[in-house]
Amino acid sequence: MNKDKELEELFFAQKPQFDDNEAFMASLNKRLEAVEYVKQHQEATIRRYKMALVAAFVVGIISGIVTIVFMLTMPAAVPLFTFRVQTGWLSWLAANSRLLTASVLSLLVTFGLISIVSNIQDIRNMHYSKNETLTNANQKNPSPSLA
Amino acid sequence: MTREGFIALVGHEQEALRGFLLYLCCGNKDEADDLAQDALVKAYLSSAGYQEKGRFRSWLFKIAHNTFLNHKASCRTTESLDEARTLVSNTSADASFAHQDLYLALRTLPPKERSAITLFYLNGYNIKEIAAITEASEDAVKKQLSRGRDQLKEKLKL
Repeated sequence: MNKDKELEELFFAQKPQFDDNEAFMASLNKRLEAVEYVKQHQEATIRRYKMALVAAFVVGIISGIVTIVFMLTMPAAVPLFTFRVQTGWLSWLAANSRLLTASVLSLLVTFGLISIVSNIQDIRNMHYSKNETLTNANQKNPSPSLA
Repeated sequence: MTREGFIALVGHEQEALRGFLLYLCCGNKDEADDLAQDALVKAYLSSAGYQEKGRFRSWLFKIAHNTFLNHKASCRTTESLDEARTLVSNTSADASFAHQDLYLALRTLPPKERSAITLFYLNGYNIKEIAAITEASEDAVKKQLSRGRDQLKEKLKL
């Protein structure tokens, strides 16, 4: 498609000129600083949340391992739990209670380990450290509300 | 992309971007600058995914175009030409230069035609590039340009 000469000349003649470029860039810089602060604050919050999650998983895993060890050191003939009603599969469940509980706990421990690894990877992939975030925020916005 | 790097790149392109948005906003400088700032913040937030090496300006224009369309959609107003005339003549930034006629004529165009016309005549993009920026087909852009040109010529009595 060819350009219409008259329109082209009209647009060319009326090309806007700005004399407040510096003010515009300063305003943009300020906005980006605010955006970055919020972004960093969000990242720090997520990081704290993930750290708490990792701590909870670690505690869960330790408890799980202790329970498994405790179960395995108990006398083999004593079932972990019994049922008042004695049906075929409930008896089987009671007879194998220690093995079944140990398997379920092992599964939970495995899931916990996977979650710990993925959470630690997420934390490591985050761009800024908590201290850096707060230092930057304090340097840029030394107001008491941001400190 | 770091903030410093982004600011450096934007420094070269901001005038073109603001000019584009000023035309889309038909001379309303405050509105255009607000949209430019919004578009640049959006661009900064998505700059991690920016991979179109060497096409930073087109990428910015694409974001600015979408920001403008969203803004238009969020404040659906059916301003008549008379209302537009009042708005333009009341804007202090416009008092200094005589763009009113062109702005008023542009105001009568639908936002997508206005974008296509501005990108074509003001920013010098070709149809393929305009299609990429506005995310429309080349045929659609050709139609928008043809209709927009006819309407502008009629309004401006060229």
